[in-house]
Amino acid sequence: MNRHMKLQTPLASAPGTQSWRARWPHLRVACVIAAAVAFAMLAALALIALMHVSIAEALAAFADGAWGSPYAIGASINRSLAFALVGTGFVIANRAKLTNVGGEGQLAIGGIVATAMSLYGGCAHLPFGLSFIVPMLCAAAAGAVWGGVPGVLKAKAGTNEVISTLLLSFIAVWLLYWCVQSEALLRQPMTNGATLPESLEIPDPTKLPAILAASGMNLNIGLPVTIVLAVASAILLARTRFGLALRAAGLNAIAAKRAGLPITSSLVGALALAGAFSGLAGALMLQGDQYSLKAGFSSGYGFDGLVVGLLARGSITGVFAAALLFGFLRSGGINMEMVAQVPSALVLIVQGIVTIALAGGALWLDKGEARR
Amino acid sequence: MSTLPSPSVDAAPILALTDIGKRFGTFTALEGVSLDLMPGDVHCLLGENGAGKSTLCNVIFGVHQPDSGAMRVNGAPYRPRNPREALAHGIAMVHQHFSLVDDASVLDNLLLGQARGWLHRQREAERVRAVLASVGLELALEAKVADLSVGERQRVEIVKCLMREPRLLLLDEPTAVLLPAEIDALLDTCERVAARGCAVVLVTHKLKEISRIATHATVLQSGRVVARSASPATEIDRLVHAMIHREGDDTPDDLAGRLSLVKSASPYSRPLQDEVLQIDGLSARDAEGVARLSDCTLVVNRGEIVGIAGVEGNGQSELGAVLAGMSGASAGRFFIAGRDMTQASPRELTQAGVGIVPEDRHAVGCVTGMSLADNLLLNHLDRYTRGGFLKRRAMRAAALELMQRFDVRASGPDALFGGLSGGNQQKAVLARELTLDPLIFLLATQPTRGLDVGAVAAVYSHIRAARDRGVGVLLVSSELDELMSVADRIVVLYRGRIMGTCTPDASNRGRIGAWMAGAGETA
Repeated sequence: MNRHMKLQTPLASAPGTQSWRARWPHLRVACVIAAAVAFAMLAALALIALMHVSIAEALAAFADGAWGSPYAIGASINRSLAFALVGTGFVIANRAKLTNVGGEGQLAIGGIVATAMSLYGGCAHLPFGLSFIVPMLCAAAAGAVWGGVPGVLKAKAGTNEVISTLLLSFIAVWLLYWCVQSEALLRQPMTNGATLPESLEIPDPTKLPAILAASGMNLNIGLPVTIVLAVASAILLARTRFGLALRAAGLNAIAAKRAGLPITSSLVGALALAGAFSGLAGALMLQGDQYSLKAGFSSGYGFDGLVVGLLARGSITGVFAAALLFGFLRSGGINMEMVAQVPSALVLIVQGIVTIALAGGALWLDKGEARR
Repeated sequence: MSTLPSPSVDAAPILALTDIGKRFGTFTALEGVSLDLMPGDVHCLLGENGAGKSTLCNVIFGVHQPDSGAMRVNGAPYRPRNPREALAHGIAMVHQHFSLVDDASVLDNLLLGQARGWLHRQREAERVRAVLASVGLELALEAKVADLSVGERQRVEIVKCLMREPRLLLLDEPTAVLLPAEIDALLDTCERVAARGCAVVLVTHKLKEISRIATHATVLQSGRVVARSASPATEIDRLVHAMIHREGDDTPDDLAGRLSLVKSASPYSRPLQDEVLQIDGLSARDAEGVARLSDCTLVVNRGEIVGIAGVEGNGQSELGAVLAGMSGASAGRFFIAGRDMTQASPRELTQAGVGIVPEDRHAVGCVTGMSLADNLLLNHLDRYTRGGFLKRRAMRAAALELMQRFDVRASGPDALFGGLSGGNQQKAVLARELTLDPLIFLLATQPTRGLDVGAVAAVYSHIRAARDRGVGVLLVSSELDELMSVADRIVVLYRGRIMGTCTPDASNRGRIGAWMAGAGETA
């Protein structure tokens, strides 16, 4: 029996021979990420210079918009929330090796349902904060259905979830256009020809309550809700039977089935959760920020959330980091366009470069991992 | 083609390894390994599962890079960064798992990655035939690989290597999946290849093969060379001893006991008790709808090991899949302890006390991307869940306990399952299935494939212990010798039918062999 113990003795008897890579794996990852972001920023500066815009002016505008004032910081954080929720959902589904590319549509559905419940669901008169909670829950439930349907298709018929989530996403986005165009649905009553194709503003009781009002950051309870949900997701994935079943189903569905793990409910549950998180993100955007449903409501947040999830490489901490990066980038970029006349498309380019640089860095990290 | 004449003593080694070391994280896979391979050598690499044999081959073949030490090919420094560079130096390897395109013909598979530019199929076919003739092999070049037997597929892999005219041929456990006749043919081929001045490295567990063809043997243990022999045929006992003996561990008596466990038959039979498995007229089809199992009727009693003998591919896989709840029966039923479980899900079968050691460990038995602890407890999770949460600490403790009891060697319960050696993976699967609670019936399919002598003994001692506790065991194996020594009763399966049942007496060997070959087929 002691032979086993012999092999148990740590073989790191010669610490001097271990490289810093082995001892500080996280440091290495952090370096790669920092290098990728720095590279993208340098590329952005080069592009700005090419456009004959003063770099100093552009940078000042960017900094001003991203973190120049408490309000700017709050706006960046609020943007990050939607990215973080969609990204968290992506990571959950990805644990079962499922790729949810339908975040945009699930977010749109969430927005539609939150609007409908707030305006016409009678939620405004509910007591104890239910006035804003019920629309959020309904939005999450609707998102769960929008994500769960591809899950059922996947589990029962083997339909590729990339295709089904993407196509359902298109349906949701066009549904949103229909909702804001048709008076029979959510469009505000047309009093004259200039009435915009958007819904009425939701009643005050259904708007998300502000927190830390004194800070001037314009934060609402979406922030703590997102943090709690993300932490809960990390626990769900790491410490529960559901998380283990997800992983097993993703890595080897046949072995998982043989071991008696519930494959169907894992797959459906994972995509439904991803959908619920995206739906909730839609509710947060509507009830915390936009207050009325407009045609361009989702404006790419679902797809950016997908990229956030990809960049996070399965880690909830990674989701937070990537979401904040994207949130601040977006805020700064918008201000840069307004103040320094730098096209906001530049921000999209920077996001693209960050994504590619990080993906390349990740590839490099994985390769180093495999070699060791 | 290397046309060195007969090997001479003072010829330069084809490959010389000096002091090779390799670590994976904190695990030392190889340490101070030195080895000279001369033209004409058939060098057997021996060692327990996880001793570093495959790692050594992979280092030579450029899959892994050594952390220390030096390699020389024909005297020149050799440091391959990938298999392509190894091939360019005349070093070829046949892996445990085949890498063939099932839907393509044998010829196309052989030409894959070799032909450049325009494909002169006729000319290439001639070249292939020349290679085949030179080593006395036969292959139907136009046949689809999917239609070939395992032995033929392996022959394709070997010819694929020979097409590159290697100076050194590495074979990683080539005989683990072969039938006895195929093994003989393979060993003949090895001898012919070596006779042409090539060096052959053969990783194996089988003592018969060593005594038949090895000119040299090296025994690895925990990544170090613990014994060498220049005349292995006469020193088998010393080599086996070096393989499974550890300092301060087994006494020689204990060792003898462990070996005899494999060799000695257990002729005793016990009074038949109540039935744990009844199979009644069971038929099954494979994925293509071909009938693979027809009208099988069979009983396994409490405390009995029933061996299923037969050449692979005669319905064993389908029988296993049906009993595991992984595929349905096309006709018939089966009962576990009197309950009809024909339609039961895998989970219900597990709860009813059915343990399964599957034939295809990687596809069905484990999740290689998860930890050892997760795999050891994958179907015990009910015991380690409270309110949906996993009791991680209890799982770790239970996994450590199982590792001790079943001698699963790894750096710890958190080790990645895929990083374990094949033998340790198999022991882990066995540990999981044997510790089901309750366990009343165990189906073990090829449980010792690819295991070393010590591990085979351990597997059977665990299975016997389960039998003695009253578990009914159905043991499917293509190793007739093992079945004869372990089973209480032997049933022969041929083309999905049960040909006959008899006791594992030596006097019945002839009958069993005839049944396995289909003699006396009634249909």
